[in-house]
Amino acid sequence: MKKFVFIVLCVASLGMSPVPDQTCDSESFATACIPKLANGFNFLKSYKVDGVAKDKVEYSYVFTKGTQYMINLCANGNTTDGIVVSIFDKERNKVATSKVNGQFISAIAYPCNATGIYYIQYTFDDPSGHCGGSALGFKR
Amino acid sequence: MLIFVNNLLAMRLLVIGFVALLMASCSSGKKPDDEAFLKSLESETTAGPGVDEEVINAILEQIPSPLEISVLLKESGSKYAPEMLNSANNLPKYNSNYKKALNLGVYGTDLGYTNIFGRNQDGIKYISSIKSLADELNIGQFFDVVTIGRLAANSKNLDSLLLITTMNFNHINHYLQSQSRDNLSVLLLTGGWVEAMQITCQTAVKNPKNKELQEKVGEQKIILEQILLLFSFYQSDSNMAALMTDLEKLKAAFEKVDISYTYKESTLEIINGVAVIKDNSSTTINITPENVEEIKNITNAIREKIIS
Repeated sequence: MKKFVFIVLCVASLGMSPVPDQTCDSESFATACIPKLANGFNFLKSYKVDGVAKDKVEYSYVFTKGTQYMINLCANGNTTDGIVVSIFDKERNKVATSKVNGQFISAIAYPCNATGIYYIQYTFDDPSGHCGGSALGFKR
Repeated sequence: MLIFVNNLLAMRLLVIGFVALLMASCSSGKKPDDEAFLKSLESETTAGPGVDEEVINAILEQIPSPLEISVLLKESGSKYAPEMLNSANNLPKYNSNYKKALNLGVYGTDLGYTNIFGRNQDGIKYISSIKSLADELNIGQFFDVVTIGRLAANSKNLDSLLLITTMNFNHINHYLQSQSRDNLSVLLLTGGWVEAMQITCQTAVKNPKNKELQEKVGEQKIILEQILLLFSFYQSDSNMAALMTDLEKLKAAFEKVDISYTYKESTLEIINGVAVIKDNSSTTINITPENVEEIKNITNAIREKIIS
């Protein structure tokens, strides 16, 4: 009976949960991104960018006036793998993006002039590249 | 395609229905061990307040590091003032998890302050206290005291020291959140923020002509709103409810500070492979020296309760 229940539960779980065809070690990418912050920037946060099952990944942070922030991107190889990072202000106006004229840039420097909550959003332009990491640093 | 999806759905429903029927038919045969296990699950208390942990974590993640303020203080030309910091010798006073978590945050800010000013020998005293508090909160594994101590011994290692201490605190926060002990994470963060606030307020009062310092005090209104939002999830905890009442008094003082935001589209250029943004938006922070004085007094009173 136990064996039968086990088999039924296995079949049920196979039927219910999608089997991921990809795994994303975003933690490693995020950690690898920290030393890639430009000289003079103090590390603040690392962000996992795991978009395997999502269209976008979003974090928020309070940026302060008079401080310059840097956000970089790490993915497979030396490219951003189609990952785009954009910054939105509290009113959801886009104030910065790493996709410029169709070109994928691996870092944004944002000298903040207005204190407030900002949204750091990661989107994916390449259907195969939904996995990466990112680091946030600051300097005065 | 639609037929395939419908068939798949029908099969899943069939399987679910069968499993449900099977479980219902077996329910009368529950063993005592199973009952004990289920009971233990029910009785397990979680530190979470019963709201979505993702919401709490998202708010926690957006609170800026006290390190940013320490850098500002140093660059504003203000002198190193260790008398403003909490004494590392106060450690034995902190007996509850509530006090331990708050003062872990306080000492974290103090360590960052000593590091930024290159007073690493002073910092070493805090490293020891931080390690003790972290151990008592079962998060000591995230503090590599040997490495931090080695880095602190040489002022040339400032960047590495700041990096490793920031990473340690980030790891602690993530760990506490993953363990549903996010209330401790909130306290740790609040202790760190209150300490940074009192250092900034005292420095601003000592330097009344430094408008940037006054504005830095004023813009903490935004952070306080987020912290109060976090505390609102923990009203059933008497300690946190009492601290929230105190923080509400601080909020009332901040109501006199006006922050206005003007959005203007930003521009950018690519320099050495980096998208360098020119932020054309601005905030105006209206705060008077009297406002700073009032905020300082309330902050000090809260901080005194935390560190005593």
